[in-house]
Amino acid sequence: MFSKVLVANRGEIALRVMRACKELGIPTVAIHSEADEDSLHVKFADEAVCVGPAHGGLSYLDVKAIISACEVTGAEALHPGYGFLAENADFAEMCRAHDVTFIGPTAEMMRALGDKAQAREIMSRSGVPVIPGSDGLVEDVEEAAEIAETLGYPVMIKASAGGGGKGMRPASDLEELKTGFQMARTEAEAAFGNADVYLEKIILGPRHIEFQVLGDSHGNVVHLGERDCSIQRRHQKLIEESPSPGVGPQLREAMGEAAVRGTKGAGYLSAGTVEFLLDSGGNFYFMEMNTRIQVEHPVTELVTGVDLVKEQIGIAAGERIQVEQDKLGLRGHAIECRINAEDPERDFAPCPGTVTEFYVPGGPGIRVDTHVYSGYVIPPHYDSMIAKLLAYGNTREEAISRMRRALEEFVIVGVATTIPFHSAMMDDPEFVSGRFDTGSLERKKKAREELVGAV
Amino acid sequence: MNRRKIEELIRLVEESDVSELTVAGLFGSVRIVKGSTAAAPATVPTQQVSVTAPAPTQSEDSGEAEISAEDRDSGLVPIVSPMVGTFYAAPSPDAAVFVRQGDHVSKGQVVCIVEAMKLMNEIESEVSGTVVRVAVENAAPVEFGQALFMVEPD
Repeated sequence: MFSKVLVANRGEIALRVMRACKELGIPTVAIHSEADEDSLHVKFADEAVCVGPAHGGLSYLDVKAIISACEVTGAEALHPGYGFLAENADFAEMCRAHDVTFIGPTAEMMRALGDKAQAREIMSRSGVPVIPGSDGLVEDVEEAAEIAETLGYPVMIKASAGGGGKGMRPASDLEELKTGFQMARTEAEAAFGNADVYLEKIILGPRHIEFQVLGDSHGNVVHLGERDCSIQRRHQKLIEESPSPGVGPQLREAMGEAAVRGTKGAGYLSAGTVEFLLDSGGNFYFMEMNTRIQVEHPVTELVTGVDLVKEQIGIAAGERIQVEQDKLGLRGHAIECRINAEDPERDFAPCPGTVTEFYVPGGPGIRVDTHVYSGYVIPPHYDSMIAKLLAYGNTREEAISRMRRALEEFVIVGVATTIPFHSAMMDDPEFVSGRFDTGSLERKKKAREELVGAV
Repeated sequence: MNRRKIEELIRLVEESDVSELTVAGLFGSVRIVKGSTAAAPATVPTQQVSVTAPAPTQSEDSGEAEISAEDRDSGLVPIVSPMVGTFYAAPSPDAAVFVRQGDHVSKGQVVCIVEAMKLMNEIESEVSGTVVRVAVENAAPVEFGQALFMVEPD
């Protein structure tokens, strides 16, 4: 096992990784920017290194500073968390070149699966159904028009170097395709430094169902069931749950097997997530694969009892996955609400500032992953998520009732948060019924706007 | 350990009944002694702070660094490390040090090396003035923003 792990991230995920290290008896090193000197992850670590000024690009994204921090502290391994450098293949390679074990997949795996068009191909070859779309990259608008004709509108023009809901442009007819195609390429170049695009049919009213997988260096691959992440705003997840109200045992088995096949086909190791779209007819299609631990991983941890971060660390140290597929089952129901320092009344505008009072809910079935504490100053330089609130119950109803109760208990004074939004969702008939899809939130928003307009 | 933290610790000691406080971290330790300047044994790397006595008394060869509580008031400017790495006072192990206590430095003058990932980075002074003290031990690890030298500007 590793003698020391450097956590190349901040906030709640840095804390999360450090907790796993602590349980495994591994000393930890925190890195931080000047803005994060008083951050909880710095206080919890055994050692801390300041790597740069507040701006993320000069600190948490500074490859040289981070590798240098590994050198001066003697860190044997590095966990990248999520975001920042977690899916940066060059960084993974540099770690390897400097004898630092990167806790995650290899650079080659990241490149293959990070290229969305290539990932589709890898999955397709493994017999995983993919969203009907172009056979690889689309070079020009004429080719795009031909393909769109065959697929049927509406279609989505997607950046191959994109992902996570970014770099996508819809076209509902030929006119929109003609104007949108070049714009999509320009946007992709600006955002990802790569103008390559491909085409996908837009699946109407789908659920976003993702499968957690684990792969080790001994060829074992398991899936740990699904998470339903359909409640999204502008393609950013707000609420996730497991199991999905839209997935029954047979579908779970079929999708899980497909996820494992695809993961094996990619030769993947460490923790990963295979994302599918599930249409109203019960057909599922591969969308993309995330080669990192995800924000919503605790949802799976609660319904399976597996510590995903400890598994990641073990896998990186050459150990076998600790769980067997036939012993893995989903028990009970877990829901996660992402609490952001944003004002739902002002279109979710970010609200950095000082949290003067912070009381975290507790009691049965409640888990809170947060880096915030009373007196903490939320810096404006980073993302606005301040806590993940999870509720576990024997049934979905119990999980919802616990979440409702926990949201009422959660006290955050000093900044606006999305707690009221989540409370409203726990009472929302569509959410409670379990019959929702990725368009649900947008439709609610439109309905509300129309109502206000009519008054 | 940065200046702000050291100042906080000095204030803590001043305001309490504590006569001596030592805080150790990766980048050195700080020992604060109330009363006279205590001659501490040379431990590596150690910064000794005396709350009452103003004048530095360590010899430049001992490698000991000192940041006086009056630095803040006397207008001393730190030369800080722009990166994470290892501090070297000289261009090579057998060469003379770039600067020693008491030397005058000009803006743009190379004052030390910080090695990061096997690359030797020459660190230039951003200020012209006199080096009042060397704040880091040779071959010690340094972090971004850490004070390397304290300079009295011209």
